[in-house]
Amino acid sequence: MVAPINWLDFRLDHFSLFIFAAITGFTVLATLYSLVFMKGKENVWQFYSYVLLTFILASGAVLANNLILFLFFWEGLLLTLFGLIFIGRKEAYKTAIKAVVIVGISDLCLLFGIVLTAYLAGTFTLSNISLPLTTLSSIAFIFMIIGALAKAGSMPLHSWIPDAALDAPLPFMALLPAALDKLLGIYFLARITLEMFQLQPGHWLSVLLMTIGALTIVLAVMMALVQKDFKRLLAYHAISQAGYMILGIGTAVPVGIVGGLFHMINNALYKSCLFLAGGSVEKQAGTTDLAKLSGLGKKMPITFACFVIAAASISGVPPFNGFFSKELIYDGALASGWIFYAAAVLGSFFTAASFLKLGHAAFLPLDGARGKGEEIKEAPWPMLLPMIIIASLCILLGVNNALPLNNLIQPILGAKLEGHSFAGWPHSAFLVIMTLIVLVLAWFNHRYGVAKSGKVLGASDHIHHAPVLSGLYDKAEKRYFDPYDLGMSFTNLLAKILFWFDRAIDWVHEVFTVKLVQALTGTLRWAQSGNFSTYVIWALLGVVIVAYLGLR
Amino acid sequence: MNYLFLLIPFLALVALNLFSRKRMGEIAYWTCLVVFGLQSISAVSAIFGYVGISGQELNKLLNFNLYFDPLSLILIAITGLIACTSLIVGHNTIKTEHERFNFKNLFLVSVLGINGLAMTRDLFSLYVFVEVTAIATFILIALYKDRDAFEGVLKYLILSVVASVLMLTGIAVFLLAVGSVTFPALRLAMTTSNGNNLLSIATLLFISGLFIKGGLVPFHGWVADSYTAAPAAVTVFLAGIVTKAAGLFTLMRFLTSVSGFSSPIRDILLLVGTLSIIVGALLALGQNDMKRMLAYSSISQMGYIVVALGSGTKVGLIAALFHFFNHAIFKSQLFVNTAAIEAEVGSREMEKMGGLAVKMPYTAVTSIIGSLSTAGLPPLSGFWSKILIVMALWLAGYFTYAAIAVMASILTLAYFLRWQRSVFFGRLNESLTNVKEAKFGLVAPAVFLAGLSVVVGLLFPFFLKVVVR
Repeated sequence: MVAPINWLDFRLDHFSLFIFAAITGFTVLATLYSLVFMKGKENVWQFYSYVLLTFILASGAVLANNLILFLFFWEGLLLTLFGLIFIGRKEAYKTAIKAVVIVGISDLCLLFGIVLTAYLAGTFTLSNISLPLTTLSSIAFIFMIIGALAKAGSMPLHSWIPDAALDAPLPFMALLPAALDKLLGIYFLARITLEMFQLQPGHWLSVLLMTIGALTIVLAVMMALVQKDFKRLLAYHAISQAGYMILGIGTAVPVGIVGGLFHMINNALYKSCLFLAGGSVEKQAGTTDLAKLSGLGKKMPITFACFVIAAASISGVPPFNGFFSKELIYDGALASGWIFYAAAVLGSFFTAASFLKLGHAAFLPLDGARGKGEEIKEAPWPMLLPMIIIASLCILLGVNNALPLNNLIQPILGAKLEGHSFAGWPHSAFLVIMTLIVLVLAWFNHRYGVAKSGKVLGASDHIHHAPVLSGLYDKAEKRYFDPYDLGMSFTNLLAKILFWFDRAIDWVHEVFTVKLVQALTGTLRWAQSGNFSTYVIWALLGVVIVAYLGLR
Repeated sequence: MNYLFLLIPFLALVALNLFSRKRMGEIAYWTCLVVFGLQSISAVSAIFGYVGISGQELNKLLNFNLYFDPLSLILIAITGLIACTSLIVGHNTIKTEHERFNFKNLFLVSVLGINGLAMTRDLFSLYVFVEVTAIATFILIALYKDRDAFEGVLKYLILSVVASVLMLTGIAVFLLAVGSVTFPALRLAMTTSNGNNLLSIATLLFISGLFIKGGLVPFHGWVADSYTAAPAAVTVFLAGIVTKAAGLFTLMRFLTSVSGFSSPIRDILLLVGTLSIIVGALLALGQNDMKRMLAYSSISQMGYIVVALGSGTKVGLIAALFHFFNHAIFKSQLFVNTAAIEAEVGSREMEKMGGLAVKMPYTAVTSIIGSLSTAGLPPLSGFWSKILIVMALWLAGYFTYAAIAVMASILTLAYFLRWQRSVFFGRLNESLTNVKEAKFGLVAPAVFLAGLSVVVGLLFPFFLKVVVR
């Protein structure tokens, strides 16, 4: 007797409540921001419809306790993702298709993983699943994290995000890839690793996750470093920061997990703040191309202030929130292997460097010496207010990090922590000193770059054109490493082969068969001479054949 | 009751020619229609269980045996039906009064001959009735006395003579070896004297003669010319009934009542049948003349019947009989369609036509039904007989032949699609703007026969039950 499955099963535990609250908060702020930003644009009504739908589906995905129900909401987000990118600029549909293909394929993997998990666990109810990592369940685990990682925007499933940054409406970027997608992806990743499967430190899947995280951090941030566009630069950081969370959760040690989850909320805050600042710049200055921007700090002081706070936060400058979560992740990474720690620190170095470049290029010098752009003014209040709120939260969660850690994040792990608390100043002086050294190095690196190239935008040129890196960068810019383009060229090749195959089959029954039948018909018609003597001979030959067969 | 099927046409023939031809010409049409109609109705009612009085007394008097079985009743019923159709078509297409009267008289003789061969129980009578039918048909083909008609009938005549020689030799050998030519006596002789070469030779000679009469490849030389040369109404009857009755019905009768399905005979039937199916279909594909195309199509369909017989099983026999019945319906109907087009357009060349579906809707629709039924598309009657044929071959273990039968259906569909495409669909040919739908007399039979194809197809299980019983 199988118990009836409760398909409409929702759960409101501490974790989902926390994520749900965050989703709600970000949606409200992004909507408030959009009130001005989207004014006068096309498809405004579509934009709000999609935002509302996104909110519903994201909340549903977080609250669902049945895996199939969860999948329904999760896949539903694919539609709004497509819609939100699609209503961007004219060529946006290509990016929208790209996003749907990448996320859709990973969701397909997720579906497979869910089915396998449910088969192994014998139930679809998320809260009842608890599987040891055997061979089969490892496969299920991998397929499920593909779905989660694609949502979070981890490499190599990231490549739609930088394209969307340019094509889609900006509030979309602040809302989805920067905030909601990270929240959902990391939420589900945490559910998988903490709840559904018992991932232990040192397990090969833990190492796999950390490797993905470390690679994502370094590769994405190096791409971010050389970007010349405000939004595209931010988009690569959105990918890179996901790497930290994956690294943190992948360590499977309490300090790393807490760090990863804390980083998730911190990242959502400062990244959306950065995107919103970018939106303000776009709205007021009319462009996000860094080569055309300069000295905005004087004209848009509040935007600038918010940007500085968020940038300091993402770079891990104390005492902002990003600093504390990164320290926790470093702690976990160092416990798992120095190589992961090195990757994370290297990521921090490049993050700081690229934000120095970004801030310097867009907002400085403060005296606003250049003549052009005199008419640029500060953004209106509905756009500033969300930024200010988020920037204040960045400071609050940093200075008083006990508040989120003790109340929101640590209860999620519950008994695993064994009474530990990670609130307060990092306990390892080594990590703090290393972080400060890295920040200082980044500062000098920036000075060196500017001095060497002679212009602010060239601050990263010495890295961009370094011997080995320049070749790699060229290839990356030409999308040699984009899995979507690789997949597409493979698909094209396959399509071409199939096309020829199809032509061949077509030829067989459109040309060959017709020719054959024509030849046969022609021969037979030629044989029908119309002469009765021929026919009599045929008949008599027929008699001979009949006689032969019959008397054989 | 069975002798009436011979007596009534004979009396009608006598009555029509007893007095002035002018007077009789007017009532000849109705007389024939009533005779054929009654024949069909009574045979159908007999099939459904109302068998009348026996003809034993008269049989003694006339000194030949007449015999009733479902096989003969089905032939008689379908003969009456197609004869009515052909008569109506002839009445509407044959121009002069004189030719029309001749047509009806010869027709009575022809039907009489078929009724006779349907019921006879000895080989020689069978031969006589085949010849009666054939001679009436020779004259019918040459009714218009033009050059083409003579050429066509000459080929038929010459090959028929060859067939006659073969059949008569066969009968002579039978008489020599067995001393009797009645079916039961021959059957007994065949079963008891296993491996008697004389009997085998006689059997093979007789079968060869029937192959010529039935127009199977490679005995088919006369078919296309004589079908094409014959007047439209005659072609309907010739293609629908005469060659099938004289060639294939007799073959069925001979195989079931006399020779049985020995292994060499099955091989011969399968070979000749398959050859006919493929060669007929390929030749049909290459024709421009509609009648010629249908003639070759006929050969192909005859092949199906022979292949079904070649399976040598009861299912095969039923399939053959059912396809025989279906073929009479749809092929006659298609020839009626051709007659309608020929009457309105004045040509039979497909390449000169196009878009006639708009101008001749009834003809177009019925021809599509007929074509699809021939090609064996469900739910039309042709589908059921073809699937029975394939099933029979499959059950008998002849997988290759079953596959060929199925694949050849594609060829069938191909030449019919080509016909439909070039005649009824596409752009209306400019020279055809004044074409109208054909006369009622040419449309009504086609509609009736097409309807029969559909109804028999839909009520197939019912019909199958009746026939099997």
